[in-house]
Amino acid sequence: MDTIIQIKDASVNYQSDDQIVRGVSAINLDIHRGEFVAILGRNGSGKSTLAKLLNASLVPDTGEVIVDGMLTSNEDHSFNIRSKVGLVFQNPDNQMVATIIEDDLAFGPENLGIERDEIRKRVDWVLSVVGMTEHRLRTTQKLSGGQKQRVAIAAVLAMSPEVLILDEATAMLDPRGRAEVMDTARKLNKEKKMTVILITHYMDETVDVDRIVVLNNGSIVANDTPLNVFKETAIIKSAGLEFPHATEVALKLNEAGLNVPIVLTDIELAEAVCQL
Amino acid sequence: MRDVAFGQYYPANSVLHKLDPRVKLIFVILFVVGVFLTKSLLSYLPVVVFLAIAIATSKIPFSKVLKSIKGIFFIIIFTGIMNVFFNKSGNTLWSWRFLVITDEGLLLASKLALKLLLLVSGTSLLTFTTTPMSITDGMENLLSPLKLIKVPVHDIAITMSIALRFIPILIEEIDKIIMAQKARGANFDTGNLIKRIKALLPVLIPLFVSAFRRADDLAAAMDARCYNATPHRTKLKELKLHIRDFIALFLAALLITFVVRIDSMIWIIFGI
Repeated sequence: MDTIIQIKDASVNYQSDDQIVRGVSAINLDIHRGEFVAILGRNGSGKSTLAKLLNASLVPDTGEVIVDGMLTSNEDHSFNIRSKVGLVFQNPDNQMVATIIEDDLAFGPENLGIERDEIRKRVDWVLSVVGMTEHRLRTTQKLSGGQKQRVAIAAVLAMSPEVLILDEATAMLDPRGRAEVMDTARKLNKEKKMTVILITHYMDETVDVDRIVVLNNGSIVANDTPLNVFKETAIIKSAGLEFPHATEVALKLNEAGLNVPIVLTDIELAEAVCQL
Repeated sequence: MRDVAFGQYYPANSVLHKLDPRVKLIFVILFVVGVFLTKSLLSYLPVVVFLAIAIATSKIPFSKVLKSIKGIFFIIIFTGIMNVFFNKSGNTLWSWRFLVITDEGLLLASKLALKLLLLVSGTSLLTFTTTPMSITDGMENLLSPLKLIKVPVHDIAITMSIALRFIPILIEEIDKIIMAQKARGANFDTGNLIKRIKALLPVLIPLFVSAFRRADDLAAAMDARCYNATPHRTKLKELKLHIRDFIALFLAALLITFVVRIDSMIWIIFGI
């Protein structure tokens, strides 16, 4: 498969109060074009450090990160890389620059010096992609959390990136807002063939992704399909993660002596239980 | 705390909303100059008429405009009292011990109150009808000659628009912090003035911490969206002058002339 991001042996250390804190150490990871990858890990596992490595906000101390053939350590490339790898952050309020939705969406393309007609086209397009066209002239303040975060996604899409990274973008939302954002991300991946990297600690969001990468103490401890990853119960537990709801139930049933296969979704669980 | 109306855009479809922000800025500046140039009570007439017409055409509900005045109500009362009781020139109308009310004092007080009302409602009409983004766009455009002497005009403009955007967010934050402190037994409502100000300290410190955290987040988000990628930044919305903008500029000039000349004009009209 076509690789869009390549991380080779990358390590990052932070210095804080005479003490060296490990961000990530000797990470090797390939992200393929059109893939939907989830990155899991508890607080301090190195997830956010990894996200910063991917859009050249952070350059590894050793090793290298290559985005679409460009080395992130080369500063001439950093804006090019950032327009290719869009990053959506946790707090929707803190990533909007303008008061009016439309103006905020134009901020990225304006920074890139894109022609006015093209900006207009892009803004209209991303508004329809995230389903916010009717709100385009409203102020960002009056939106729900889910709507705000969809605007934040649209703002990044307006730069027409190839990779969309959601860095805990659902963490501050209510269940409904989370569903809105996840639906948007899935739609972009399925319909627009966009590469999506989802950084999260909600296991239920990861059951239908192509691949899960689990980080623990700055190292990758698992890198496989959801089913294979959640079968490694010891690794999941030592990484401080929980299981998706259905998987948890299946594991408990197994502990109780029933022979239930490891499943990911409630429907699969229901079917497995009916087979007993 | 939450119903701070000043500085908040009110979307509507009116001529005032459509005016070029540069023209509105110049208009407001001339309006403020006009307010300060007033002398006789009569010279307030053109300013009041202009403002009334502007409010009527703006399609902003009158209650919104009143709300923006609410914030300075205390200042108006205070300056009014000072002027009424401590101005000793003119004919005395009433006196009691050291308090004297003179006709000139009354006149001065009402003029000052009128001035403050006109200033606040006039300038808040600008922020009601113009988004912060286009105010700063207009400002950037008007100040662009300063780029020649290396003044970072664009950075100043974006800083301003971000400041305006975060006002409601920070007000909400203050509400939350006060609530959290109250839940832990903090007392903001009793005690003398000094005690109350001291009680606000535990509100300000978390507010600053959170403001810095937000600033950090916003900087990362702006970097991720390629801020400063090119010196040739483009704009979604082009500033273009229409006929209505020239009419507005003409009206602003007319306003100033009226204010300065009304006394002599009235004299010419009725004197002959």
